[in-house]
Formats: sequence, C-alpha cells, structure tokens
Amino acid sequence: MVRRSQALLIAAAILAIALAVASAVWDGHYLLLSAVAMTLAMTPLLVRFERRLLEPREIAMLAALAAVAALGRIAFAPLPSFKPTSFVVIVAALVFGGEAGFIVGAVAALASNLFLGQGPWTPWQMFAWGMVGATAGWLRHTRFMKSRIGLCLFGLAWGFLFGWIMNVWSLLSLPDAFGWELVAITYAQSFYFDLAHAAANVLFLGFFGLSWVRLLDRIRKKYGLLENRDGRR
Amino acid sequence: MNAGGFAGLHPLVCFVYYAGVILLGLMLAHPVYQLASLALLTALLLLQRQGRPLARALPYYLLVGGLFAIVNPLLSHRGRHILFYLWDQPITLEAVLYGAMMMMTILAVLLMFVSYRVVMTTDKFMYLFSAVLPQTALHVWMTLRFIPLFARRFQQIELIQRSRGIDMRTGGPIRRLRNGAVLLRILMTWSLEDAMRTGDSMKARGYGTAKRTAFYPYRMDRRDRITLAILGLLLLLALAGWREGWGLLTLYPRMESLRLAAYERIHFAIFLLFVGMPILFEAKERYRWRSSRRSA
Repeated sequence: MVRRSQALLIAAAILAIALAVASAVWDGHYLLLSAVAMTLAMTPLLVRFERRLLEPREIAMLAALAAVAALGRIAFAPLPSFKPTSFVVIVAALVFGGEAGFIVGAVAALASNLFLGQGPWTPWQMFAWGMVGATAGWLRHTRFMKSRIGLCLFGLAWGFLFGWIMNVWSLLSLPDAFGWELVAITYAQSFYFDLAHAAANVLFLGFFGLSWVRLLDRIRKKYGLLENRDGRR
Repeated sequence: MNAGGFAGLHPLVCFVYYAGVILLGLMLAHPVYQLASLALLTALLLLQRQGRPLARALPYYLLVGGLFAIVNPLLSHRGRHILFYLWDQPITLEAVLYGAMMMMTILAVLLMFVSYRVVMTTDKFMYLFSAVLPQTALHVWMTLRFIPLFARRFQQIELIQRSRGIDMRTGGPIRRLRNGAVLLRILMTWSLEDAMRTGDSMKARGYGTAKRTAFYPYRMDRRDRITLAILGLLLLLALAGWREGWGLLTLYPRMESLRLAAYERIHFAIFLLFVGMPILFEAKERYRWRSSRRSA
C-alpha cells in the first residue's frame, strides 16, 4: 500500500519535472520551471536526511528546535518580519551542522505554515529557511562565523537574501515586463520587510548568538547528539 | 469516512486534482479558459461553504492580482494596438491583456488554495508526505505536536518570570528584546532536556527496531481508482492539447482572435471537466442530502 503510493508519487514528480523542463524549453514558463528547480534543489538534502540513521533522542531534539523556531514565527506574528525564527535556525546549524540546520529550517517553515495557512509560498519558504540553516552549517568552522561581527553580517545578509528569494516568484510571473524597472519595483516594495528581518537577525545574533551557541553546544556534548557516526540506511 | 463530497475521496486523488489545477493554471493562458476556471473554482468554494472566508480574503487577493495587471502595461510596451499614451509611454492592448491574464492565473492559484486548505487537512497531507519521506514526516509530526505544548509552556514561563521582573511587555525596545530572549532561552533549555526524555521513551518502546507503522483511515477503493484514472486521463489529454497550442492565446507578434477554434472547443470541454470534477461530487452530496430529507 505504502509502496504503491510511493511509486505513484515518484511517477507524478517525474512527470511534473519533465513537463516543466519541456515547457520552459518551448515556451518560457519560468514560473513552473523555477518551482521545479527549487524542489529539485531540496530533494538531495531531504533524501540525505531520510537515509541517515537517527537516534530517537536526535529526532526529538531536531523537532524541539524546529518547534521553537516555528513558535517564534507564530508568537511574533503581529510584528511583520521581525521574528527570531532565522536566529534559532542559524544557531542550531552552527552547533549541529548544515544538514541539521537545513532540516530544522525547512520543517519549521512547513510546520508553522500548517498553523498560519498553506499556500504557493510554502515550498519557497521551506527552501529559503532551509538554505539559511544549510549555509550557516557549512560555514560554521570558519573564523568569520565564530566572531560576533561575522555572525551579525551573516544574519544581515540572510535577512535580505530571504526576501529576495521570496521575490523571485513575483518577478518570474511577469516575464513580459521583465526588466530593470520591474526588478527595482519588486525589491523596493519588499525593502522594509527585508530590513525588519535583517534587523531582527542582527539584534538576536549580536546579543545572544554566542551564548546560545555555547548553551546548545553543552547539550550536544552532554548527550552526545549528532556526532560523526555517519550511520546510513 | 465522515467527510462527504470531494473531501471523502482518497488523499492521493485530491492531491492529483489540486496539482493538476496548478499545472494547467500555470501552463494554459487563454482568457476564456481562465474565466471559466475562476467561475468553477468559485462555485466549488461556495459548495464547500467557503463563501464567507472567500469574501473576507477576496480584497487582498484582488490587490495582489491587480498589482500584476497594473504593473505589466506600465512596464511592457510590446504589441501593435496602442490604446493611449501615459507619460509618453505607449500603453498597448496586448500588454493590458497579458497583465489581466497573469492576474487571473494568480487569482486561480489563490482560490485553489482556499479549497485545498478545506479538503487537504494536515493529516491527509502528512499521509502522502510520509509515504515519500517517512523520517522527515515523523520529524514534522513531532514538531507539530511540540508547537502547542511549547506555546503553553511559554505562557507559564512568562507568568513565572514576570514575578522576577523579566517581562516582554514593559520597558524600552532593547529591554523587551533582552527579556524576550531570556524567555526564549528558558523555553529552549527546558524543551531540549524534555526532548531527551521523549527520545528515551521512544527508544524504550522499541523505536528503530522495525519499520514504523501508522494508522490512517484512508483506503483506495473502486470509486477512488476510477476517479483517479479519469482525472489522470483528462489531465494527459489537456496537456496533449496544450502541446498542439490549444488553450494558449498568442499575443506577440500578432494577437489572435479570442474565439476558440473547432478542436480547441473539445479541449476546452476536457479542461472544464477536469477543473469541475469536485463540483460533481459536491453536487451529488447535496442532492442526496436533500432527497433523503424529502423522503423522510
């Protein structure tokens, strides 16, 4: 039963990909192609996580981290864009690595949208927050990310990048009018939201980033979570 | 199953329908098709008793869609039929039409998601999700369970810490931020220690020793299979027609007539049948309900 629905879903996914690639080649359906490309970009990371043998403690901890990140988004919902979600994702990634950071970010976006309302934006947010975590995890051993200034700059950059990723779909839906003016208008209207997001990141990371990293690092060592065992299925 | 009408079908069938509506909505670009699909989706929402939420969200949706309709003719000056000049820029009929079509595409996607939220409840979505990515699905389930738990926990923490003078509601912005982060940190450490216990309890009950099973009340019966086959066939036919150029209005370099060609009408009927499929189920449900009351 499960196996059959799995096969069906995989077939549907392949069909969608083939169609989207074809439509982009023939007729310039950039919107469809970009959605598929983004899903494809997420697939290897999700499959990697799927194949990893995780202890129940580790799953529970990743779920707790994602829940705190999602809760930050729901609890701060009245303040547009000023949310500690990216902060929690970045700190989790700094301690537990890029793979964990990606999954915490993506799941936090998906789970909070199950409360706040699903829409065409859900996969984009999963991708954007997942990438926040993934990049923070990949850069975590550099000297840049270990300094307070570096962390703040990283948060500032992602505050804007996040909004820019979310802007892509509105740009791609008007290929007819595509040009510098459209780009300027789109990015100008999102500027204040991006600024609020970036400000939240800088403030949270600047004031509390390093202490949270120490705190999570202690928990990681105490319980031996997500060490380099590399068990795979 | 309790849910009647379209929502009573197997989740996979519903999912294929919504995926197909999005796919066709993004690929077919013809005002006649788009108006028809908007009308069908609105009728579906009314049958699903979503009239009130729709009326509340519609101004926002129109604003989002309208933005596209306005921006396109202002920025794109392609086309032969110049309507008038605005600030020395030609406003062409083609660009106006293109913007309007884009607006209808976006409206159709947004309307579809209103219906999607009614039919594809969280557990149906997770049922499909767990078939593809079981470990990630478990992670999402646990996160979903933690969110309301942590929300209650956060309120407790707030209440207790207020007695120590740590409060998010008073003081300047920096002070509030600092206090908010203290509360969040307490929530984090408490919850992580607690998650360790959850994990131990899972392990004690044998997590990971065998394949994880779950109970879902969904079963693919004959009606589901037939509906799925019909939906799949209609979708394939609609896409094959799209390859022929049906359901697409050529605007550049020369605008074609809005009227549907002979074969295009058959294609249009197939498209209508696909998008209107849930209406058949909802209408049947309504009819049964009414006739059962009459006979009683």
